[in-house]
Amino acid sequence: MTWTWFHRLGSPPYIYSLAARLTPWFAWPAALLIVGGLYGGLVLSPPDYQQGDGFRILYVHAPSAWMSLMVYTTMAVSAAVGLIWRIKVSHAVAASCAPIGASFTFCALVTGSLWGQPMWGTYWEWDPRLTSELILLFLYLGYMGLRSAMEDVQRADRASAVLAIVGIVNVPIIHYSVTWWNSLHQAPSVMKFDRPTIATSMLIPLLMMLLGFTLFFVTVLLIRLRGEVLSRERTASWIREAVSP
Amino acid sequence: MSAVSEFFDMGGYAAYVWPSYVLTLAVVVLNIVWARRLLAKSREEARRRLAMRAGGGET
Repeated sequence: MTWTWFHRLGSPPYIYSLAARLTPWFAWPAALLIVGGLYGGLVLSPPDYQQGDGFRILYVHAPSAWMSLMVYTTMAVSAAVGLIWRIKVSHAVAASCAPIGASFTFCALVTGSLWGQPMWGTYWEWDPRLTSELILLFLYLGYMGLRSAMEDVQRADRASAVLAIVGIVNVPIIHYSVTWWNSLHQAPSVMKFDRPTIATSMLIPLLMMLLGFTLFFVTVLLIRLRGEVLSRERTASWIREAVSP
Repeated sequence: MSAVSEFFDMGGYAAYVWPSYVLTLAVVVLNIVWARRLLAKSREEARRRLAMRAGGGET
């Protein structure tokens, strides 16, 4: 068995060109899935029997919330890999994740709040799910703040990696908060081991949105990663080729 | 009520549904803009470093 592919993944010039080549393969399916999911969610799927058309916030809220957790997990795992095996590219992946995750966490909080007002009668409640999701936003912001406060990239990589790894404990807390404590928030209907408790006509657009957003994350990650990799290389001669117009 | 205005009314939930969709769309678009700007900035800086080195700069 050959391990060269694995070693190549740690090589900045290889990653730079690979990321450029892969981007359209994620961008187009993401765009198609999101457009299809929007049409299905806004037009095709029937109104909910309790929430009427208000439930349609689901199609933007659930994918945003999914992004907030999935991006954080990706960030923490690549930060850990970077810290343990001292792989620069891994740290670059982690650094690229943070602004994406922060923006979707913010989006999940605001869309949730806009959903809460008509259904629960309040925009905000210090509820376990809502509070732990707000802490996730602060973790992202803390991670970004820590990085930007440090001049030296390698020190910033190491310090922010520790923060990302410690913060991962919040991810299962967010996911299980609705089962462990009494929460206003509903329990999962899709992300569970049992069969989903949601009608198929509502489920299909939701799955399209979830997959579309995931592919969108990879697209944005690949673009950011190229920038991160390039800015970390001070002397390498491959940069000349990379930036020649 | 016509089908179109009924669609935009969202069964009375328009004030909550549409801002959610607009915000999410804005976050998606901004992510693309920010990522592209980061890449362009990194390329510009790398180009400047190379020019400085070629010109006998202090790199």
